[in-house]
Amino acid sequence: MAHQILWKSSFVVRLGRFISSSSPSFFHLPLYSLSSSSCFLKVHPIPTLSSTTTRRRNNCIWFQQQQLHDRHSFLWCSKYSTTRACVDTEIEGLGKGYLELTDEELTRQCKMDTLKSSGPGGQHRNKRESAVRLKHLPTGIIAQASEDRSQHRNRASALTRLRALIALKVRNTVDLEAYSPPQELLQILPAKSSIRGSDCGPQIGPKNPKFLLGMQALLDLIFAVEGSISEAAKFLGLTTGALSRLILSDDSLRMAVNELRASKGMKPLK
Amino acid sequence: MKLSLGSLYRPSRFPLLLKSYPISRSRRSFCVSSLSSPETSLKPQIPLFLRPPIYSTTLSDLRKWHDWAESLASSVGSTFEKSDNGPDSSLLCRELKWLLEDAVEDHTLVSQMGVENDRRVRMRAHVDELYNLWKQRIQERRPFQYVVGCEHWRDLVLSVQEGVLIPRPETERIVDFVSDVVSKDQELKRGVWADLGTGSGALGIGISRILGSEGRVIATDLSRVAIAVASYNVHRYGLKDIIEIREGSWFEPLKGLEGKLAGLVSNPPYIPSKDISGLQAEVGRHEPRVALDGGVDGMDALLHLCDGAALMLKPGGFFAFETNGEQHCRALVDYMENNKSGSFCNFEIIPDFAGIERFVTGFHGKAI
Repeated sequence: MAHQILWKSSFVVRLGRFISSSSPSFFHLPLYSLSSSSCFLKVHPIPTLSSTTTRRRNNCIWFQQQQLHDRHSFLWCSKYSTTRACVDTEIEGLGKGYLELTDEELTRQCKMDTLKSSGPGGQHRNKRESAVRLKHLPTGIIAQASEDRSQHRNRASALTRLRALIALKVRNTVDLEAYSPPQELLQILPAKSSIRGSDCGPQIGPKNPKFLLGMQALLDLIFAVEGSISEAAKFLGLTTGALSRLILSDDSLRMAVNELRASKGMKPLK
Repeated sequence: MKLSLGSLYRPSRFPLLLKSYPISRSRRSFCVSSLSSPETSLKPQIPLFLRPPIYSTTLSDLRKWHDWAESLASSVGSTFEKSDNGPDSSLLCRELKWLLEDAVEDHTLVSQMGVENDRRVRMRAHVDELYNLWKQRIQERRPFQYVVGCEHWRDLVLSVQEGVLIPRPETERIVDFVSDVVSKDQELKRGVWADLGTGSGALGIGISRILGSEGRVIATDLSRVAIAVASYNVHRYGLKDIIEIREGSWFEPLKGLEGKLAGLVSNPPYIPSKDISGLQAEVGRHEPRVALDGGVDGMDALLHLCDGAALMLKPGGFFAFETNGEQHCRALVDYMENNKSGSFCNFEIIPDFAGIERFVTGFHGKAI
């Protein structure tokens, strides 16, 4: 019951063993990709899974996110306000922010499955379906990868993609009154930022995996100032032009910002 | 060579092999006697992607082949899928792309197939052979992995050929289980592990890489083709010091290690005999029946493995078996709880990524 309160109506919580054939709707979920980050999800607190994982793991908790078509909604979480104790290992690291988790910790928060699963599988089957789908249970974000011949490698690609999607979609609340940019955000700012100390090292670019952490913090700020680049730039000691250039340097970041601006009736950055 | 190998895989021989050691022993003597025959020089095939690029063709000829192959794949539509849950056109087209990747030395040139027609590309197979290979793929339903001679499995690319089961993605998980177990118990990491019915060597090699230089793995198989292929794969990954391939049926090559194994894994044949005829053509017509057919209820090998595990594992030793699904998992746990009472503990039934309960794991020794 606690789930229903926490998860609002956009979630269906299914308890019980997941058997693919019994839930055909699973395959009709919209698939996220970096290029179509148009759907966000509005949920406030991060739900805590109750500890029902049994010894034999034959009951798993399965969340289905159904109304993702909803435009301009997104996932909110309060980074530091976890009030419930983490009773289940699957949600460890809640207070830390998902992107700070190691691959292993993040994987543990995910349900992984293959895309197609008709028939008995195993030795019965030879179809080279190496595609995998990772579903991050606390947020419902889904990442998938199918380009490689090995399932193992697709798993790694899906995890990388999941991190990018989390950075783009999971918003932390920002207190503008007492705002001071976190270190990981300072690191992606250009050197000319007036608040960026020399201890930040060289600017981290979009190709560096650490960029995601900074990107997430930047989006948090931009959402807090409701899409105003000039406002955000002031907090970061940058000119509006310099911040725009930073946003335009990464396609997914640009699209996320422009989507927010569009929802507020603002012109897109070009 | 093929004929004599074929006789090794006569399914009728299989149930006999499982039953008892004396028969296994007589089988061993058969193998020993065959060691002196010319078959000894059984050489594994080199996967296409490792063959030297000694052929060459023009991009336009390559394109001609590609267009032909693509239209053949498209003509399949969903007929295979409907008849036996085989691959549809889109899967076949994906395989075609992979075949090109393996056959062309510099596959960045493939994208220029339509532009630079006279340019020559170096190939690992003659273009005529590519025609043959693709015909075999479509018309004979020869598994793609046998066509290119390899399978991508975990972070490995393993050589496979007719006579050896193609490792399945499901089985990758067993390596994860072992990784979890040894990360918590250094003593198990330093112990001797066994992979029974290793086939291409996939599990044995995956586990060797987890254990590292301190570990030791013995991988067994009764098929001489499997022994040759697994040895080739072990060699290719430079694991000769860690993993040893031994020929023989199940536990037979492990004599003297009773009560000493730190771990035991296996993906044994588990398909019930009556289901073999209905298998997807790639599997039923081409893969070795000895690696698939698990007897009347599919449990012959699994039960044999349970019996052996009780004898061979040391206290605290870990086992992981792949099964046909939920029914097998439950029957196996029941069998171990009732017939081997007290021998095993901490059973887990773990689903594969498609959600089918696929694996049984547990430990040897008293329940904690």
